[in-house]
Amino acid sequence: MSSKTGEVSAFDYRIQGDRRDEALSRDGVTAPEWGELFASLGRHGSTVLSDWRNTAARISRERGLAYRPASIDGNPGEGWTLDPIPWIISPERWASLEAGISQRNRLYEKLLEDLYGPQRTLKERLFPAEILLSHPGYLRALHNLPPGNGIIGLGLSAFDVARDTAGQTFVVNDRFDRPFGLGLALENRTVVNKVLPRLFGRCGVRRIGQFFTDWFAYLGRCAPSGTAAPQVVILDSSEQGKDSELGFLANYCGISRAHPSDLTVRDGRVWIKALRGLVPVDVLWKTMAGRDLDSLESENSSARGIAGIFEAIRGGGVAVASHPGSEALQSPGYYPYLPRLCRTLLDEELLIPPVATWWCGQPKALSHVVENLATMVVKPAGPHHDFRTQYGSRLSASELADLKAQILAHPTKFVGQEELLISTIPTSRPGGLVPRGAVVRMFSFQDGNQGVQVMPGGLARLSTESGVIVSTRNCGESKDVWVRSLLEEQPFSIASAISQTHLVSPDLVPSRTAENLFWTGRYAERTDVISRFAARVIDVRFQGFPQEHGIGQEHEDLLLLTLFKIFDCEGHLEEAKDADARLDLILRDRACPVGVTYNLQRFFNATQTAREEWSPASTLTISTCYEGWNAVPNVVGQNEQFDSKLEMLQLNLSAFLGLNLDSMTRDEGWALLDAGRRLERSFIVSGLLSFLLKANLKEEMNALYNESILYFLDSVRTFQSRFHDTPSTELTVRLLLGEADYPKSVSYLLGRLHKVLRKLPTPGQQPHPCDLIEPWIEKMRLFNATMNKGKFRRRETILFLDELFAFLATLSDALTVSYFSHASKHR
Amino acid sequence: MSTVRYHVRHRTAYVYSGRIDLCHSLAHLAPREEVGQEILAHHLDVSPVPHYQMARKDYFGNGTNYFAIQGSHAEFAVISTFTVEKSGRVPVLPDSGLSWDRAWNRRLMVEQDETGICFGNYLLPTASCPALDDIDAFLAPSLKPGREIMDLVNELMARIYTEFDYVPGATDNSTPLQVVLEQRKGVCQDFAHVMIAALRRINIPARYVSGYLETIPPPGVKKLQGADASHAWVEVHSPAGGWIGFDPTNNKIPGHQHIKIAHGRDYFDVRPLRGTFLGSGGQKLSVEVDVERV
Repeated sequence: MSSKTGEVSAFDYRIQGDRRDEALSRDGVTAPEWGELFASLGRHGSTVLSDWRNTAARISRERGLAYRPASIDGNPGEGWTLDPIPWIISPERWASLEAGISQRNRLYEKLLEDLYGPQRTLKERLFPAEILLSHPGYLRALHNLPPGNGIIGLGLSAFDVARDTAGQTFVVNDRFDRPFGLGLALENRTVVNKVLPRLFGRCGVRRIGQFFTDWFAYLGRCAPSGTAAPQVVILDSSEQGKDSELGFLANYCGISRAHPSDLTVRDGRVWIKALRGLVPVDVLWKTMAGRDLDSLESENSSARGIAGIFEAIRGGGVAVASHPGSEALQSPGYYPYLPRLCRTLLDEELLIPPVATWWCGQPKALSHVVENLATMVVKPAGPHHDFRTQYGSRLSASELADLKAQILAHPTKFVGQEELLISTIPTSRPGGLVPRGAVVRMFSFQDGNQGVQVMPGGLARLSTESGVIVSTRNCGESKDVWVRSLLEEQPFSIASAISQTHLVSPDLVPSRTAENLFWTGRYAERTDVISRFAARVIDVRFQGFPQEHGIGQEHEDLLLLTLFKIFDCEGHLEEAKDADARLDLILRDRACPVGVTYNLQRFFNATQTAREEWSPASTLTISTCYEGWNAVPNVVGQNEQFDSKLEMLQLNLSAFLGLNLDSMTRDEGWALLDAGRRLERSFIVSGLLSFLLKANLKEEMNALYNESILYFLDSVRTFQSRFHDTPSTELTVRLLLGEADYPKSVSYLLGRLHKVLRKLPTPGQQPHPCDLIEPWIEKMRLFNATMNKGKFRRRETILFLDELFAFLATLSDALTVSYFSHASKHR
Repeated sequence: MSTVRYHVRHRTAYVYSGRIDLCHSLAHLAPREEVGQEILAHHLDVSPVPHYQMARKDYFGNGTNYFAIQGSHAEFAVISTFTVEKSGRVPVLPDSGLSWDRAWNRRLMVEQDETGICFGNYLLPTASCPALDDIDAFLAPSLKPGREIMDLVNELMARIYTEFDYVPGATDNSTPLQVVLEQRKGVCQDFAHVMIAALRRINIPARYVSGYLETIPPPGVKKLQGADASHAWVEVHSPAGGWIGFDPTNNKIPGHQHIKIAHGRDYFDVRPLRGTFLGSGGQKLSVEVDVERV
């Protein structure tokens, strides 16, 4: 690594006023660790920044990173943007950060142990008791647990570090209860590595993979003693999509992820509801609020946790990281007392100080804060969500007076902090590099008695504010953090390293994941068929081919009626005032159950909840399907534009389904995805054929209707090559019902369903679904034999199809009861 | 009258409209052994028989029972029965010799009471006993400079008794204290919370007590089965030492008729029976309490 100063002039990067910059000194000297990056920019010119930004945006979008998906009611998702320019840290700087964070991790670990045990620090008045005793995250239910309990200490912690103008490093924030960002850091690394592979190589960047592997291996070792192959599960309370970074992590590392509703406590142990029944869980990495973890012991009556888990923890039936009461340590109220706590608990001097903080519960501190309010940042001392951080420097005289009154009324609730002018780092903008204030989030854990591991990297978050606050809520721009190595770095595969820890159990399909795979299959097929309906209607209307006899409108009405009737929602159709409004229901409406948008959203939600199941290529096709459809603003009245969008959607869906056919292991999860597809298709085909047979149409219209149905089911070409004839109801039915070798016929679909469902275990108290299908395969065989022998019998065929339609609904219910039985919820 | 002996039976039963597959419960039903209150026998009877159970002491030293019923059931009942011997001594209010406005000492926060719990637990607001402006307003008339602490507490109890109406059903477990203060009515639990919230504002340690009260029917009327109820009152720590009971619902210093179960910061620390159920359908709760002098 060489320091080539002075070459920066190839492009213009200027620091901001008096602020300290991490890459460039006030005299314009580049810090050596940034040398390669600046040299590279010098060679390419700053126009390359736009390319890098675009590539990063594309890759993160494809991987689903930049996206927190829209919620089910259509609220837009929050985006995280990634700046491809990393924060580069020198080995020397890293060594001091690592030592400081490592010490801080040890300090808080000791503090946690003390606060939930002897409380020596409290009794010796090393910090004000109010900070702990009034903290809602202090869980008295977990105080003084008996030996052999399942508490693992802090688990994974996050510390936000910043530097001020003078170059002093501070910790500005700690997160123990649910440290956000670890999955995002891993994703950022993956993306930036793809954008800047050569620069990454030239800079000799420390790999972060070992940290993840060590973390999960450590969790495995925390299993209750005597466990041979520990079952480790990531517990994630978020509904689909939100905080999806954990899905990335689970996917990447191959660790199962569960929602509280997937878990249950029985016999003092935690069990996961899986396809194969209840499977014991030995270690939980909880990423939900600890105080909501046990809905039995929580003060929050609406907490949706796992009832009885505290009892399981007390008895040592399950090990949980982090300590569910670790939130009690999350208060800037401790900051003024940290040096003292560090001396007492570790017998060491504190290496990285916290940002200067005054807890207003102490009279002297209170008067200091109140007298200097205009230069203070005022924060709540605990997790009080009714108070937003206030910057004194930005308040008017009357606002300051209000704030003062608020503090004086309840001083113990507030801290004042010195407003830090945090250092800046080079950040890419389309036109060039600009300085932006930044905070780096570092991650660490204490590996039993073996010391602390700090991830050599982190998550840099950019601020639009100058102060110590970098809000994940307000500013969603992040960066990768490159720690430069003094040694040769070896490539590292997390997946293969973790597979050697024996923590990965591919057999374990949680019931909720199973259900979402099943519905992924169903919604994919449903969206496909509905999009074909829409495309056909648009064709008929705008290509105008059958218009000459004036039957175009009649045909369109018939198609729409068929679609709405199959899904039993004619009500929506009746409410639409004209033909355009009816078409709109399918194309744009978010609430219409036969709308493309509606079904695609459900497809997407199902895929996101089962995120850990998809290969990178599948993830890409999912986001292409979803974003492709939702990206272009849908202009009212211009339905022609949908033609190509619909075609793209169909193409992307079939790419997704085809990929899964090729790339997923043929396990139980795959069986459910495939069963969902076949079941949905059987539904639709039998419904359509029944309608076709019941319709009493004139010859010309009948031919057109037949053709449309063949079109919906993507069977036009097969029909032509098989029969060389104009479409007729009898031939359509023969092809789509009886043709056992044709993959789109009901006969084939039933056989396929039978075959894939064989892979599922026999449910506890219900018959195996294959036992339900077998009589129908036999019925189908007999029916086909009769149909092929003699004259086509319309009435019998209708009866047969309607019975089949009803059976398919029964089968779907049976699968739900047998395999996804978390329908009943805790109350 | 040297001692009085009571037999107490507290039955809580749930009847479900559907089947319940799994039920976790946590009970604070075991009576505390206290000065002047000797527990002769306690028995907790759960039906159906739990598959898993555990007895322990909670943070405040109250007896706690956890049990899980893991099979399908349509009814669930917990019957707590015990015999207790109460001292018949008539309580007297000690004079602490300290006035409320001079007694406060920050150091009290981490000092421990006779049970080893720091006073800070009983000095800080909780979700059920928050620091409200209306609490300060209610408290104000009692804050006469130089007034002796126990005298003040005693008057506060009397004021809650006269200024609030006892109206069963006026509130439930989730009614915020603010509403109780506005409507000036509630039940024993609310009055205890009002008194605790007020005392903590002036740094007097106060805790919530759950228990039962012996009721005596009018002469000639036979006492009804199950007519008694759970009761709640307050204990205040005297600077002279020891916790002293105050019952704002009856404006009375608790004596032998008050049978104590548990104490904590507020109701939520000592909820008699809480549970979560996995299953479908609604539930019907019935509670019967009998306090019988034997």
